[in-house]
Amino acid sequence: MVLASLLGDYSDNWAHLYDYVLVDYISNTLYLIIGVSLLSLLIGTVTAWIVTTYDFFGKRFLEWALILPLATPPYILAYTFTGFFDAFGTANNFIRDIFSLDQSFIFFPNIRNIYGAVIVFSFTLYPYIYLVSRSAFLNQSRSMLEAGRMLGLSQFEIFYKLSLPIIRPAVIGGLMLVIMETISDFGAVDHFAIQTFTTGVFRTWHGMYDLKTAMQLASILLIFVATFVWIEKISRKKALYTSGTSTFKPTKKIKLLKYKAFISFFICFIPILIGFILPITELIIWAISYNLSFFNEKFLLAAMNTILLSITAAVLCASIALIINFSIRFKKYRFSNFLSSFLSLGYAVPGLILAVGIVQLFALIDQNILFNSDIILTGSIVGLIFAYIIKSYALANSTFESGFQRISTNLDDSARTLKSSGWNLLSRVHLPLLKTSFLTSILMVTSEVVKELPATLILRPFNFDTLAVATYIYAAEERMFQAAAPAIAIMLVGLIPIILLTKMISSSRPMDK
Amino acid sequence: MNKFQKLIITLTTIIFSASALASEVNVYTSRHYDSDDALYAEFTKKTGIKVNIISGNGSALIERLRVEGKNSPADIYFTVDAGNLWKVQKEGYFKAINSESIKSVVPENLRGPNDEWVAIAKRARVIYYNPKSVTKNEINNLSYEDLAEPEWKGRIAIRSSSNMYNQSLVASLISNHGIEKTENWAKKFVTNFARNPQGSDRAQIVAVANGEADIAIANSYYIGIMLSGKSGNDQLEAAKKVKMHFPNQDNRGTHINISGAGILKNSPNSENAIKFLEFLLSEDVQQYMVNISFEYPILDNVDPHASIASFGVGFKEDRTSVADYGKYNPDAIRLMDRTGWK
Repeated sequence: MVLASLLGDYSDNWAHLYDYVLVDYISNTLYLIIGVSLLSLLIGTVTAWIVTTYDFFGKRFLEWALILPLATPPYILAYTFTGFFDAFGTANNFIRDIFSLDQSFIFFPNIRNIYGAVIVFSFTLYPYIYLVSRSAFLNQSRSMLEAGRMLGLSQFEIFYKLSLPIIRPAVIGGLMLVIMETISDFGAVDHFAIQTFTTGVFRTWHGMYDLKTAMQLASILLIFVATFVWIEKISRKKALYTSGTSTFKPTKKIKLLKYKAFISFFICFIPILIGFILPITELIIWAISYNLSFFNEKFLLAAMNTILLSITAAVLCASIALIINFSIRFKKYRFSNFLSSFLSLGYAVPGLILAVGIVQLFALIDQNILFNSDIILTGSIVGLIFAYIIKSYALANSTFESGFQRISTNLDDSARTLKSSGWNLLSRVHLPLLKTSFLTSILMVTSEVVKELPATLILRPFNFDTLAVATYIYAAEERMFQAAAPAIAIMLVGLIPIILLTKMISSSRPMDK
Repeated sequence: MNKFQKLIITLTTIIFSASALASEVNVYTSRHYDSDDALYAEFTKKTGIKVNIISGNGSALIERLRVEGKNSPADIYFTVDAGNLWKVQKEGYFKAINSESIKSVVPENLRGPNDEWVAIAKRARVIYYNPKSVTKNEINNLSYEDLAEPEWKGRIAIRSSSNMYNQSLVASLISNHGIEKTENWAKKFVTNFARNPQGSDRAQIVAVANGEADIAIANSYYIGIMLSGKSGNDQLEAAKKVKMHFPNQDNRGTHINISGAGILKNSPNSENAIKFLEFLLSEDVQQYMVNISFEYPILDNVDPHASIASFGVGFKEDRTSVADYGKYNPDAIRLMDRTGWK
């Protein structure tokens, strides 16, 4: 639906956009992508490397705590960041109080700019990279690393000469998610007043009342992402990344002591501090200084809705991704390959635009297929779940893609000689091996749906609230004190899947203990 | 029809059972307050009519109205910006509100053309200033137009041009002066900014309190919220340091925007919808609403909240038709883009 807009007419607003603002939109978006990619790659891979290679005090804690920032929606981090670091925010007041400095003294620089945005996105989204790199590091063959050591490579050289290249496909998958979420975000960049492609889309739609041009802008964004995905696929087509052997020997951990242990702990703790502890502390302060009357029936209902919806959507989404990925691997259908890439793009579309595309699609279905019944998809729970699946398919897909890659194709061949194929192969051979991928994708989708807002707002039935909606209602007017309580609830509900995920991680490799 | 379809239909019928109720009114709204629920409960108690709500972004709700077409369950569209009301009317989704009692209490410039929508509450876009750094002489009779003068260089705080309140303000200037004059004004105005546009209206007020800027343009009700202490001590302290000035008192008056609502053409419960709007425009409800939102009431015999009234009541309001804000909004955005108002 969104892409279809490209075929329509182009209004005069294009000339205006081209003359005055398009360059800004493109350059800001590019800076953002480059900055966030570099920083989140750095955080994600380095922390994953440290917790998988070394053993030190607090490692067990860090291993799962590093995923926590996934529970923080970027816009919430942006709001708390400004509350904290603004010229007269908590941090600057604190510094002034300690050193009894003059009111005009400002210690922390202004963060309402593109650098601030890069930090916000990197520290909330790096877990996507951390998760995949961590499991890839765990799965890499021990003999390779030992060979590296024998050749006299230092730990650092092993990291970037051997380990990093090997985990590249997995990391790129994670990085794609980070990039897609960054460019589709509206809340955080709008708060920092940075003009990106997505804010341009909304400006054109809401202000110039030109939905068509807005959709066309969004389509250009999509084509850009699609090209990126395509180039990446081509570049790794020739290389086969499945490991030849399936005998797995866990890599031996190097024990760190004293200051080295402290430094490692410190490095891994910073992302948790910035991406999780800081925002939730600020939110709690806000919530307390307001009042706690939000724990009423309505709030509980919103929480229930959120949980039920997210789990239903997640299970369906993960199942669909599994089947599509299986048929790509086994039957090599071109169609499923295309379908998968196409659905993945849903993640990169700004939420409201995706929601409008879906509403239009539903209207089409409602009027042409269901026209003689009084049932409509628009404004129904079914419609809502459908929208969530489109929005978060990319998350489920990326886990299965890397999951399937790790299963040696030799295994398929042996299974086929044993006359196992189709459903049988999937359920008896692949599924047990993919159990972790399946659960991971369920949990990732769950935590995404918990945070999802724009589609919920426009597609939901009457009198139906989720936690994200409750937060939005206040945050939209920047009444952050009132928004704080439901925002904490989002983070807490989002924590449930994350904690399960981490439990799974620690039990997935029993030999690891 | 196979089993799967039957299942889907049963499920959706269950989920949709709410819309089978006889006495109800369905509201699409982009206005959200804590107190709304209490207000709707009161309406139900008085009339027996249940209020169903979908709240969301104004433009997105218009899109939902469009695709739902004739089947839309919506009775009322309620929003916080005149531009959106104008847009809905232009699409032809509203119908005239046939209520003599509404016509008798709401002045004409606060009703849409052909009475297709009506204001529920008003807000003014005012100037906040720091009495420490702005002299009486400077602030007296200050107008929006004066802010382009070189004496204000580096002294003005205002939020980004993506904000609809700024778009409406510029649209009202276009309506009064035309595009060319407004553009010349904006070019100079932009060079007077104390910092790159950022943050909310309240952040501008805080900037003035802290001396980052000398004056700020922001909506009137924010100072009421800040003074109420509901948004924390820091904001309360900041609000105490600033004063409010109503611009353009010696000519057309201060820029006004509205919260407003209209009844939809395909409304299945339009009788109830009229009752609902009449309810919102009744004396008690107006008093209740403005006491919570710190907006200005529509009815003459209702007073704004005391903390807002302390800055002055009975100031001269700009009578420019609020419908013009919508009409000139696209021009306003293009103009702000051209002048580099980020």
